[in-house]
Amino acid sequence: MSHAHDTTAPLEHVPTGLDNKKLMMWLFLASDCMFFGTLITTHLVYRKIYENVGVDPIHIFDIELTTASSFILLMSSLFMALAVSAIHKGSIKSFRWNLVGVIIFGSLFLAGQVYEFNHFVTHAGLTISSGTFGSTFYVMTGTHGVHVALGLLWLVSWLCYSFSPRFNAHQHAIDIETAGLYWHFVDIVWIVIFTAVYLIEYV
Amino acid sequence: MSLSTTKTAAPPKSAPHEHDSSKAARSNLGLVRPDHTTGWKDWLTTVDHKKIGAMYAIFSLAFLIVGGVEALAIRAQLAFAENNLVSAETYNQLFTMHGTTMVFLAVMPLSSAFFNFLVPLQIGARDVAFPRLNAFSLWTFVAGAIVINLSWIFQAANAFGWFTPIDGRTDIVPSAGWFGYAPLTGDQYSGIGTDFWIFGLQVLGIASVAASLNFIVTIINFRAPGLKMMRLPVFIWMTLITSFLIIFAFPPITVALGELMFDRVFGANFFRVDQGGQPILWQHLFWVFGHPEVYILILPAMGIVSEILPVFSRKPLFGYSLIVFSGAVIGFLGFAVWSHHMFTTGLGKVATAAFSLLTMAIAVPTGVKIFNWIGTLWGGRIKFSVPMVFSLGFIWMFMMGGFSGIMHSAAPADAQQQDSYFVVAHFHYVLIGGSILSLLAGIYFWLPKMVGKMWYGKLGYWVSATVVVGLNVTFFPMHFLGMIGMPRRTHTYLEGTGWQPMNLVCTVGAFILAVGIFLFLWDLIRTIRKGPPAGDDPWDGRTLEWTIPSPPPSYNFARTPIVHSRDPLWAHKHGKASLRIGSVEPDPHGIHMPSQSWFPLLASAGFFVLGLSMALKQAGVPFCGYIAIAGLGITVLGIYLWALEGPGGFHVHPEETNS
Amino acid sequence: MSHSADPSMDREFLLAEQKKYFTFMNLAFLMTALTGIELVIIFLPFPGSILIFGSLVFLSLIKFIGVIFWFMHLIYDGKLLTLIFLFGMVLASGTSTALLFIFNSDRVDQTLPFYEEGIIAHEAGPGGH
Repeated sequence: MSHAHDTTAPLEHVPTGLDNKKLMMWLFLASDCMFFGTLITTHLVYRKIYENVGVDPIHIFDIELTTASSFILLMSSLFMALAVSAIHKGSIKSFRWNLVGVIIFGSLFLAGQVYEFNHFVTHAGLTISSGTFGSTFYVMTGTHGVHVALGLLWLVSWLCYSFSPRFNAHQHAIDIETAGLYWHFVDIVWIVIFTAVYLIEYV
Repeated sequence: MSLSTTKTAAPPKSAPHEHDSSKAARSNLGLVRPDHTTGWKDWLTTVDHKKIGAMYAIFSLAFLIVGGVEALAIRAQLAFAENNLVSAETYNQLFTMHGTTMVFLAVMPLSSAFFNFLVPLQIGARDVAFPRLNAFSLWTFVAGAIVINLSWIFQAANAFGWFTPIDGRTDIVPSAGWFGYAPLTGDQYSGIGTDFWIFGLQVLGIASVAASLNFIVTIINFRAPGLKMMRLPVFIWMTLITSFLIIFAFPPITVALGELMFDRVFGANFFRVDQGGQPILWQHLFWVFGHPEVYILILPAMGIVSEILPVFSRKPLFGYSLIVFSGAVIGFLGFAVWSHHMFTTGLGKVATAAFSLLTMAIAVPTGVKIFNWIGTLWGGRIKFSVPMVFSLGFIWMFMMGGFSGIMHSAAPADAQQQDSYFVVAHFHYVLIGGSILSLLAGIYFWLPKMVGKMWYGKLGYWVSATVVVGLNVTFFPMHFLGMIGMPRRTHTYLEGTGWQPMNLVCTVGAFILAVGIFLFLWDLIRTIRKGPPAGDDPWDGRTLEWTIPSPPPSYNFARTPIVHSRDPLWAHKHGKASLRIGSVEPDPHGIHMPSQSWFPLLASAGFFVLGLSMALKQAGVPFCGYIAIAGLGITVLGIYLWALEGPGGFHVHPEETNS
Repeated sequence: MSHSADPSMDREFLLAEQKKYFTFMNLAFLMTALTGIELVIIFLPFPGSILIFGSLVFLSLIKFIGVIFWFMHLIYDGKLLTLIFLFGMVLASGTSTALLFIFNSDRVDQTLPFYEEGIIAHEAGPGGH
C-alpha cells in the first residue's frame, strides 16, 4: 500500500519507462512460473509412472464442478481487469464495485475448493497420505488455493484502504495494477492445472 | 500527466508529509520514524544499502569462520587412520553444516554484500529500488541463518540432558549432507536436524529471492543517465545474471523442501518409497536448483575479477561484450545441465548423452572468459597490488577447478569419480580458488571505499600467499585420494588403505588455509582501526564509485552523474573532454532520502519464530504449532505496518552543507 | 483525494479505456466458451485420441495467452515485461518436459506392496460419476 514515492530516484531518470513495482511483480511472476511448474511437474511425473496404480482420478473428480470453478475464477479475472481500468480512469466507485466482484468470485472459488477437498476426503477417502496421487494433488491445488487466499487478503486490504482519506486513485493505480497482475497470474495457473491435472485424465 | 496504463504518473514533487528538518517525523500510522537515530537503533532500522551491505559482510564473515571451524574438525578427524576424534554422527553433522554454511551463509551473502554496496554506487543511483525490502532481505537471511545454526545449541542442550526430542532421536543438527538426499531426510531415517535444515533453508530462500528481485529492478531502472546496458560495469552485469539465476533456481528447491516438509510433518508420500514415492525426484528437483546455484556462487566472483583486472593492468577489459555474453550463456546453460550430478543414477542413454554434451558446452563460455582476462593482462602495465595478486590467483586456481570439472562432464569418467574425494577436490578448487579468492580480492579492492581507510604494510601479500598455498596443499592431494578410491563423507578409513599420508597432508594444508584466513581477518581489523585515509580514488579506478568520497556519504552522489562511456571515470581522467562525467542539475528540494523503519525487521523476526517453532514442533515441544502460527502473524503484521506507515522520507542538501 | 474523475483527463484516454472494456468483455465471453468446449470435448466418443489431447492443450494455450496479453496488459506494456515472463515460462516448461521424458514407468519397483495392492483396472474412456 505504499505509494509510488517508495522508490528513491527521480522518475525522470528511469531508463526503461517501466514502473518499478510493475517490473518487480512481473519478475516475481516469472519466478512463480518455475514454482508452479515444479509442483505440476511433480504431479505429472507420478501420474505418468503410476498410470494404472492407486486411485483412479476419474472416479474421484467431479469435472462439472471443476469447470464451474474455472469459470468462476475467469469471471473474477474479468472483474479484476475492469477494476484496474476503473482506477486508471480515476473512478473510485466503479473500482470498488469491480473489486467487490473479484472478491466474491474469488471467495466462491475458494469455497468450491474447500467443498472439493472435503468431498474427496469424506466420500472418496482420498487423503494427503493416499499414495503419491493424494500427496501431489492436495499439495499442488492447495498451494494454488493459498495463492488465491493471499490474493483475496491483498484485494480486501485495498478495498478497505480505498475508504481511507489517504487513498488516491492516481497515486495508487499502479499498486492496484500490481495486485491485479498477481490475481491474473493465479488465474492462468488454474487454466494450466485445469487442463494438465483434471481434463487430461479424461482423454 | 499521462494516465495510460503503460506509464506511471509521476509522483508529486513533494508529498505533504515530507520535511527537511533533521527531527524525526511521524509515519502515516502516527508512530515516530527511526530516522536520524544513532548506534544499534540505526543499524537495526537502516535502509541504507551501504550499511546493509556492511552487515551482510560481517554476518557472512562470521559464518565463514563457523564453517571453517567445522572444516578443521573434519580434517582433524581424517588426519589419521581409524581416528575417533569425533563420533560418526557428529562427523555427518559437521560435513552437512560445513557445506550448508559455506554455500548459503558465507559465499552467497558475501556476494550479496558486494551487490548491496556496489550496485547503486556503480550505476550512479541513490539507493536500491526498494530500500525497505532490502533491509527485509538482510534480516530474513539472518533469521534463516540463526534457525539453522541454533540446532548446535539444541544439540549441546541435548548433550547436557536438558532437551530431548519426543522420538528420542538425538540427531538435532542436520546430518543428511548439504543436498539432503531422500529418503535419508525422511522421518524414518533422520530426526529434527532435517527439520532445522528445511525451515532454515526456506527462510533463506525468501531472503535471496526478495533481494534478487530488488537488484534486477535497480539495475534495469536506476541507471544514471547515459549508462546504457552495454556500458554497465561487468560486475553489475554479473549481479544481474546472478539475480535472474536466483529467482528462477530457488522456486524448485522451495517446492522440493515444501514437499519434504509435507512428508515429514503431514504424512505425505512424495519421497516415501513404500508408498510409491521416488527419491530420485528429490535429486532432480534439488539439482534443478543446485546447478544454477553453483553459478550463483561463481558469477559474482567473475564479475569482481573483471572489475579488478583492468584497473591494475591499466587497460580496458578485453572483449567486454564477449565477457557479458558468455556470462549470460553460462547462466542460461546452467539450467540445462543439472543431471550431470546424477550420471550414476541410470538416467538412460539419451538423457546421459544430452546432459554430458551440454555440460561440455558450458566450458566454452567459461573458457572465453578466461581468455578475455588473459587478453586484458596482455600488454598491460601490470601493478601487483594485493587485489591483483588475488585476482591472478583466482584465474589460475579457478582454471584448475574447471579442468577437473570438464573431466566430470564425460559420463563414463564421472562414474569413476562420483562421490569420491576427486569431486571434493574439484568443487573446493572452484569454490575456494574461485569464489573465495575473488571475494577476498574484492574486499581488498573495495574496503578502502567502504570504510575510507587504506590497507598498509605487506600483510596482504602474506595473506594471499598463505591462502593459495593452503588451498593447494589441502585440495591437490585429494585428487589422488579420490583416484585411489577414498569416498567422500567417510567418517574414517582403515590402516592399510594407503590413504593416511595424503590425508595428513590435506589436514596440514587446511590449517595453513585457516592461518591465511586468520591473517586476513587481522589485516582487516587493523586496517579498519588504524589504516591511513584512503582518499576518493586510491587505486586509480575506472568506475563511478571512485568519484565520490570514501566512505560514501549517505546520499551517495551529491549530483547524479551523466555517463558518456564504459569505464566513465577512466575516460574522465584520461580521455577526451567529450567523455567527461557530467552531472544532473540538483533538485532544489534536495536529495530525497527514504525513511528508516522497524517493520522489515519485525517481518523477518516473524520468519525466525515460524522457522524455529516449526522445527521444535517436530521435536514435540508443546505449543510450538501455535507459536508457529503466531510467527506467521508477526510477519503479516510487519508487512501491514510496513505498508501502512508510508515510505515517508526527508531531504538532504549536500551542496549547501558542504559550502 | 478526488472521488470523481480528474478534470484534466483527456478524451483519447477515456476512449482507449472504453475500447479496452469491450475487449475485456469479448475476451471473457470467448474464454467462457472455450472452457465449455473443453468440457464437451472430453466426453466425445473417441477416447485416448491425440486429437483431443492436442485440442485441450491448444484451448488452454489460447486462454493462457488471452489472459497474459490482454487482462495482464502485456500487449499494451513494455516488451521487456513480455520477455521476462516468457523467459520464466520457457524455462519452466523446458524443465518440466525434460523431467517428464526422464521419468519412465520402468523406474517403478513393481514388487513393492503398494503396487500389487493398488493396481486398478484401467478403463477406456470417461468413467461414470
